[in-house]
Amino acid sequence: MKRWLYQHRYAFAVALRRLLSQPFSSLCNILVISLSLAVPIVVAAVLDTARPVVQQIPVSAEVTLYLERNAPPDAARALADTLRTQHAQEIDAIEVIDREAALAELRRRPAWSEALAVLPENPLPDAVVVTLRQHPEIAATSERLSAQWQALDAVESVQVDSAWVQRLQAMLDFLRMGLWLLALGVAVVVLATVFNTVRLQALTQREEIAVARLVGATEAFVRRPFLYLGAVTGLISSALAVVASWVALQPLNSAIARLAASYGTQLALQLPDTVSLLLAGIVVAILGALSARWSVTRHTSF
Amino acid sequence: MIEFQHVFKSYGRGRNILADINFRIEPGEFVFVSGPSGAGKSTLLKLIGGLEPPSRGAILVNGHRSDRMPARARPYLRRAIGVILQDVHLLYDRSAIQNVLLPLAVTGLAPAQAQSRARAALEKVGLSGKEDLNPIEMSGGEQQRLAIARAIVNRPSILIADEPTASLDDDSARRIMDVFRDFNRVGVTTLIASHDLALMASYARRTMRIEAGRFHDTTGAP
Repeated sequence: MKRWLYQHRYAFAVALRRLLSQPFSSLCNILVISLSLAVPIVVAAVLDTARPVVQQIPVSAEVTLYLERNAPPDAARALADTLRTQHAQEIDAIEVIDREAALAELRRRPAWSEALAVLPENPLPDAVVVTLRQHPEIAATSERLSAQWQALDAVESVQVDSAWVQRLQAMLDFLRMGLWLLALGVAVVVLATVFNTVRLQALTQREEIAVARLVGATEAFVRRPFLYLGAVTGLISSALAVVASWVALQPLNSAIARLAASYGTQLALQLPDTVSLLLAGIVVAILGALSARWSVTRHTSF
Repeated sequence: MIEFQHVFKSYGRGRNILADINFRIEPGEFVFVSGPSGAGKSTLLKLIGGLEPPSRGAILVNGHRSDRMPARARPYLRRAIGVILQDVHLLYDRSAIQNVLLPLAVTGLAPAQAQSRARAALEKVGLSGKEDLNPIEMSGGEQQRLAIARAIVNRPSILIADEPTASLDDDSARRIMDVFRDFNRVGVTTLIASHDLALMASYARRTMRIEAGRFHDTTGAP
């Protein structure tokens, strides 16, 4: 067991020596990998920040029907009953918002109270908020129903409230899929870069490998320093990628903070959690070691 | 113990480099393998060292059929054989002692123990005080002795050397041969390929001659 540990210690020291013996070349490889890794980390940070924000917004499709201001007081309820009867299959819930109740609600908000105080009468119409049942074609359904309801006598205007949220959600889903594809691309970059680094190292260390075999080195002994080289390159690159991502998020956060402040809210992009970053680093190190093994097996058969 | 039984060696479909070689070397023997350039001396040593497989026949080293040994077991056999090739194959990116430490790293010896054993090996070949020199700073004879130190540091039972004195002056050649003789005296089976007849006359107790791939005669065999 001790001999095995000594052999690993030797292999690790050899890997570090080889990394440090060509500092510029090693640094270039590490920079290529780390910058490639930083891109999905930043995208993941954007997605991780956007997801809870989008999830807080109601994503069910809501269609609001605003009645004409001179409509009779019970017209909204009558319309709600009619819609519930005619579109029972498509409607999940209906809520009638009385214009007086809506005004009272608005007056409770400081930003609106002063403006509403100077108005001679209530400018708000009665409204019927229709929540549609969720199904894959809900966007088309809400468009069709809103066009149909626009033609009703007492209805002044119809507004599809949540279409943009659904589009945003779809866009985030698309970005998430894109993130996986990006991660796959980065994995290929890691594999290719480490493969080529180890190929060059194997060619440079040809004499050492031949001598090691001459004095009784097993193939595992020959391969081991290269595996460490791949793994260490992956680990250092991952750490550097996290630092680069953090640096990149600072100016982005300044811009987002200004934008969020204009909406009276706070928002900041944050790196994925530590466990995820550690796991990603380990995965990259394993990828580096696997790529190194593949390369060293191909390029030391002499 | 080294034994060849009807060993043939050829590359591809070419002619036999070695044809029907039969001999047996007992433990502790000091043997010269002689013959003109291209006769197959180096090939014979590579077959003994397990660096190449035979095309036909059986090779026994220390009682093991090295020709039938699986590839993963061959490195362990090589550790029992110290090999010094004609080109010394030293590593010029590290010091003399680091060259000697490599075989010990291969076996996983503790660093402190490895250091002391490497220093002892360098002392045995007369390179004390030159541990930190780069091999490129050494003379041809010193490089040859460094290669010997590397070959013996793992305490092999067999030592094989291919033309170890080929490019050395007489004085350096004799110092190298003295080193081999000293190891043989403590029981290490020693095989040296050479075409230096004067050297053989001074040191050989047994000579095996190979000519055009054929094994012609042995003298002084026990």
